Amino acid sequence: MKSSSRFTANSMNWRKAEMAMGQHNLGTVISFEFFRTIKKRGFVIATLALPVILVLIFALVYASNASTKDTAAAQKSARFAFTYTDASGIIVPAAAKLAGGTVAGDPAAAIAAVKDGTSEAYFAYPADPAKESVKVYGADKGMFENDKYQAVAKELLAVSAQNQVGSPELTAALTGAVKFDSQTFKDGSVAPGVGGIIPPLLFLVVFYISMILLSNQMLNSTLEEKENRVTEMILTTLNPTTLITGKIISLFAVGLVQILVFLAPVGLAYLFFRDRLALPEVDLSSLVFEPGPMITGALLTLGGFTVFTGVLVAIGAIMPTAKEAGTVFGPLVAMMFIPFYTFSLIISNPGALIVQIFTYFPLTAPVTALLRNGFGTLNPVEATIVVVELFVVGTLILRLAVHLFRYGSIEYGRKLSIAGTFRRNELAAK
Amino acid sequence: MGETAQEPLVHIQDFRMDFGDTTVIRDLSFDVHAGETFGFLGSNGSGKTTTLRALLGIYRPTAGTLHIGGKVFEPRDGASLGYLPEERGLYKKEHVLDVMVYFGRLKGLSKATARSWSEDYLERVGLAGKAKTRLDKLSSGQQQKVQLGVTIMNNPGLLILDEPTKGFDPVNRRLLMDIIEEHKRAGATVIMVTHQMEEVERLCDRVILLKDGVSRAYGTVEEVQEEFGGTVYRVTHDGPLPASALFDVVSQENGRAELSPRPGATEESVLLALVDAGAGIRSFTPARISLDEIFIQVYGEQHELAEG
Ligand SMILES: Nc1ncnc2c1ncn2[C@@H]1O[C@H](COP(=O)(O)OP(=O)(O)OP(=O)(O)O)[C@@H](O)[C@H]1O
Ligand SMILES: [Mg+2]
Repeated sequence: MKSSSRFTANSMNWRKAEMAMGQHNLGTVISFEFFRTIKKRGFVIATLALPVILVLIFALVYASNASTKDTAAAQKSARFAFTYTDASGIIVPAAAKLAGGTVAGDPAAAIAAVKDGTSEAYFAYPADPAKESVKVYGADKGMFENDKYQAVAKELLAVSAQNQVGSPELTAALTGAVKFDSQTFKDGSVAPGVGGIIPPLLFLVVFYISMILLSNQMLNSTLEEKENRVTEMILTTLNPTTLITGKIISLFAVGLVQILVFLAPVGLAYLFFRDRLALPEVDLSSLVFEPGPMITGALLTLGGFTVFTGVLVAIGAIMPTAKEAGTVFGPLVAMMFIPFYTFSLIISNPGALIVQIFTYFPLTAPVTALLRNGFGTLNPVEATIVVVELFVVGTLILRLAVHLFRYGSIEYGRKLSIAGTFRRNELAAK
Repeated sequence: MGETAQEPLVHIQDFRMDFGDTTVIRDLSFDVHAGETFGFLGSNGSGKTTTLRALLGIYRPTAGTLHIGGKVFEPRDGASLGYLPEERGLYKKEHVLDVMVYFGRLKGLSKATARSWSEDYLERVGLAGKAKTRLDKLSSGQQQKVQLGVTIMNNPGLLILDEPTKGFDPVNRRLLMDIIEEHKRAGATVIMVTHQMEEVERLCDRVILLKDGVSRAYGTVEEVQEEFGGTVYRVTHDGPLPASALFDVVSQENGRAELSPRPGATEESVLLALVDAGAGIRSFTPARISLDEIFIQVYGEQHELAEG
């Protein structure tokens, strides 16, 4: 063993080792934390269990349900009375009549009739369906029913076109290129289409899934150092900010691996057996990815993440053992679900006091704001305030968590007094 | 730039530490010079661990200067530091080698170097077969060896060891002392807390004795011995020892006693007093006072003496 010259002849050499240690260490922490987590037998079992269950369910559905036809087919042949105008001349009146349609004289009157509920639906076929979109107006029948209007309008166009072209393949090619604009009316005003609601709400799903997968590990991330008394070794080798940042990044990576493993069977099933499964036919083209709500949704998800990560890591830093930390965990999880109690208010009356409180209280804000964002009741000003608030509060809590870990975690076996860590600082600053 | 070879590597000046309303350390000052082995001694609860933690930034000192290499310690200096904390512990559920390599990497070694170094070390301390064992499957002494390995990895220039031999059997204690001595000879600075005075006498150049957060003795081993009377008289005797103004009885059992002369007393006057009193003296040997005796002398004192 050869000794380095540091500290020896001259203490000036003391700092030589500094280098870009910080960066290097972050990578080291991430890979250590990542690999030791995914190598754990418990983790492998937990991660593989869900996909295995999913595969089993798929297999059962596949075996017993091969006869059921998809819902889109049922919607195509749904019967209801509608009016239509046809500027293109493609629609065969007989076919329209068979489907339940009558020609409307005045488009404006037809729309008004749909609005006030005297008519169920009105389709406006433009002069050139290849260039302009077919306008579909319908009475609101709930998110999933509403798709039938467009299905029927499309089917009618297809049947008529086939009549004129005489070739089903050509017709399919033609109608595939036609765009449909659907609007449904509820109490005289436009109801948001399901296609517009689903995409921003996906962020809520992402938020929940990642919290379910990661929250427990976040809570335990610094507890392990404390319970194993390795804090002193760590604190003299590594900047606590680097340690905690590294742990959080590795947790995200672990969560990503889990999500991929969970999704793998779903994706495979969708690719290979979609025809045989009674999966609800989600017409991806009908989803509206409006940039505003999508960006807001992404930011709210990230902000919510930051807040919950900070709180969980901070709790881990205060509590001496995992068992004690667990007692705070329940109420925290409850915070993520409480906004659903006010679900109807959130959709119908976002101005209500309770909804306002939930929108701005940091622990309920992510879910509440994501819901309101999905249903289009979060205006840009509110969205900006909540997003900024989440990031600021989240960052502050994370910094507090690092501080608590730094000056509190050495008190093995004792609950940390937050005030105590600061009192010590003040004294030291004098 | 203005540094000289004499500038201490570790400099502690007027250090005070309060926990709540209790002052645990008060006005503590001492230096450790580059290349020396420094014994940090004191009874249980006298504040040794607290001082080391404050020096390494784990605790924030209430007042005072605690410098390593002329500045406050920061974790990024950790690559040059080997710290063996009093509270031992590593990632218990990981494999021995993985943990060693992790810390090696954090201390700036490459993965390959950390790995081969660790394997050599495990071989040397008799744990070659345990590289792939989880730490919590090792005995506590074996875990200690792993932790010592992590501490001395990357040949740190400064070793701070809080009771390094705690929990070791005599054979492994010897092995550990050998390892520390190697680092000392290679030029490393060593600060060690220990309750084993023979370790201090074997390794340490200078010592400090802490009592209730206050320094009671500080200097080379010889200086401290000198300060505490320097010499004692070892006597064997058949009769009762008299009380005398010339000496204190440091220890006495089974006809053996150690006497510490008071100021002004000489070998002759003490011996004469003993003989006169009919103590039945069979042998009388002047000797250097041992650190053990100093320790007992200091820590056996009543509280009010600590204030004087
Ligand atoms: N985190 C803490 N909070 C409150 N008091 C503390 C804390 N850490 C140490 N002390 C007190 O400080 C005093 C010195 O403790 P320290 O651990 O430094 O002693 P020590 O010299 O290392 O003892 P030992 O030889 O037993 O290891 C003790 O009285 C102890 O109770
Ligand atoms: Mg101690």
